[in-house]
Amino acid sequence: MKRYELIVIGAGPAGLSAAIEAASHGMPVIVFDENPRPGGQLFKQIHKFFGSKEHRAKERGFRIGRQLLEEARRMGVEVMLQATVLGIYDGKEVSVMRDGQVEHFKANNIIIATGASEKMVPFSGWTLPGVIGAGAAQTMMNLHGLKPGNKVLMVGSGNVGVVVGYQLMQAGCKIEAVIDGAPRVGGYGVHAAKLARLGVPFYLSHTIKEAKGKICVEGATIVKVDSTWQAIPGSEKVLDVDTICIAVGLSPMSQLARTAHCDMENNAGKGGLVSICNEYGETSTPGVYAVGDVAGIEEASSAMIQGKIAGVAVSHSRGYLDTADFNNQVAQHQRSLKQLRQGMFGHREKGQNDPTQTEEGYPLSRTLLERGYLAEEELQNYPGVRFQKGQGVRPVVECTQNIPCNPCQDACKRGCITVSGKITNLPAVDEAVECTGCGMCVVSCPGQAIFLVDDTLAPGYSGVSIPYEFSPLPAEGSKGLALDRSGRVLGEVEVTTVKQSRVMDETAILTMKVPGDWSMKVRSFQPY
Amino acid sequence: MRIENHPIIKNFEKGRRVLFEFDGKTLEGYEGEPIAIALKANGVMVHRHTSNHGEPRGVFCAIGRCTDCAMIVDGKNNIRTCITPLKENMRVETQYGTLNRKETESI
Repeated sequence: MKRYELIVIGAGPAGLSAAIEAASHGMPVIVFDENPRPGGQLFKQIHKFFGSKEHRAKERGFRIGRQLLEEARRMGVEVMLQATVLGIYDGKEVSVMRDGQVEHFKANNIIIATGASEKMVPFSGWTLPGVIGAGAAQTMMNLHGLKPGNKVLMVGSGNVGVVVGYQLMQAGCKIEAVIDGAPRVGGYGVHAAKLARLGVPFYLSHTIKEAKGKICVEGATIVKVDSTWQAIPGSEKVLDVDTICIAVGLSPMSQLARTAHCDMENNAGKGGLVSICNEYGETSTPGVYAVGDVAGIEEASSAMIQGKIAGVAVSHSRGYLDTADFNNQVAQHQRSLKQLRQGMFGHREKGQNDPTQTEEGYPLSRTLLERGYLAEEELQNYPGVRFQKGQGVRPVVECTQNIPCNPCQDACKRGCITVSGKITNLPAVDEAVECTGCGMCVVSCPGQAIFLVDDTLAPGYSGVSIPYEFSPLPAEGSKGLALDRSGRVLGEVEVTTVKQSRVMDETAILTMKVPGDWSMKVRSFQPY
Repeated sequence: MRIENHPIIKNFEKGRRVLFEFDGKTLEGYEGEPIAIALKANGVMVHRHTSNHGEPRGVFCAIGRCTDCAMIVDGKNNIRTCITPLKENMRVETQYGTLNRKETESI
């Protein structure tokens, strides 16, 4: 039986981060993963991540995945793929199946980083081909380059639903609707707004009643629900779709922690059954840790930090790291983790309350929560929207919820945008600072919520610049339709400039010439 | 169904184009991609029929968890096609319960 200082189970963001951290202190580490490729779900994440610089914000998930693999290789972390861990037994013995053969390994420490599985919602016809999980959609389109369908119904408006919905549109699919049983959008408002301004309708307080079709999906019936989640008869609506994508949450895959006799708890805030862990991620079974989604559903950025903390802790416990360094590093990682867990979508707040204002006291947009976009008259409520006529080019930051994110602040070299105090505070635009119109704030915002407006472009006309991530890129001088935040067509406009460069990382900036009074209306472009 | 021009992902790593057999027909796919992807690219949605009610099933989770996409591959049944790489001349058959069509009809 082969023995290791540390066995990590799962080569996703949490597991790889833990392994890299431990290996960097000199520990011999092996990582087991049942998949043919390492990286967990990171390689399916093609959007820019939130957070701050230290959380690798504004980088796309798959690039972070590549960096992690490169670091793991450099640190000499051994990764064994297509290796399914069957159980953890007394004395920290791990049994692993490879090629139909079971092998046994022993370790002084084990870090469980098995992630999560998708929750499902059963309904009539839910087993029909064409009903798929949101993860399946990501796997098909972002890994294998295949459209999951042509016309899609997205069930669930949490971050997975709205992020995958946008990715489906980038892959060339049409989203017929996003529905959610809850009365408000569950994910970040900025993610919902990206879909709404492309014309995707949000049906809140709606659930799916039936998938239509004999051998595969040919349509879907949705129905409105009342405040007790009961379907309201007569409120059915039939949608013409060939694909129904389910994004109703994740549950921790904590079975291995149970086999290791860890004390477990059912914790709704963490997404289900999880092991009870201390501040370092250690379970009640000494030397066995749980990090990432398996310890409570969050996202990849916090999973990576949890992995690092556990990696530091095992290194210290085995004498690879002295106590002073251990204390310093843990404190630093925990500060970083705490930042990500702040705000109205944070760890503790999740689904627990229905705030009406931000932590700073700005009113939250009801239209954003109920329809997925900001109403124009609400804009003036926010510190990022300080647009006055005749000022020339200015950034308009339509960021209205407490989200842990601040790349916009770093993007502006002139200090026009600041996120003061907590990382979750709303960005504020300083009217006194001149804007050069470079657009770096526009492309650095992971929520695509920053626009440039120039009302001095030409007499009677304004320039509106938007982030654009669709293919093909419109040509300069081409015409198309200008859409407002709700996806309503305002009229024909000309694309005057298209900016793209390496540092913008595939987010282009499209500038449209629009009639002057549309400058605070136009937020989306649809090519002919 | 193949994405030709993606705004973010400039190229999807693919093996060489190979032929394989699906229920007696010759189809084309990329070597090494999951069998289920090659089938879907050819418009195949139904992978198997359940044993008791004969209900159709297809790809559901696409990561090897749910087993809805199981088919008969090179004569072996219950193969999860979403995580099994495609090889040249592979023989893929729709699964009825745990059997292929011919075996079902002979019962």
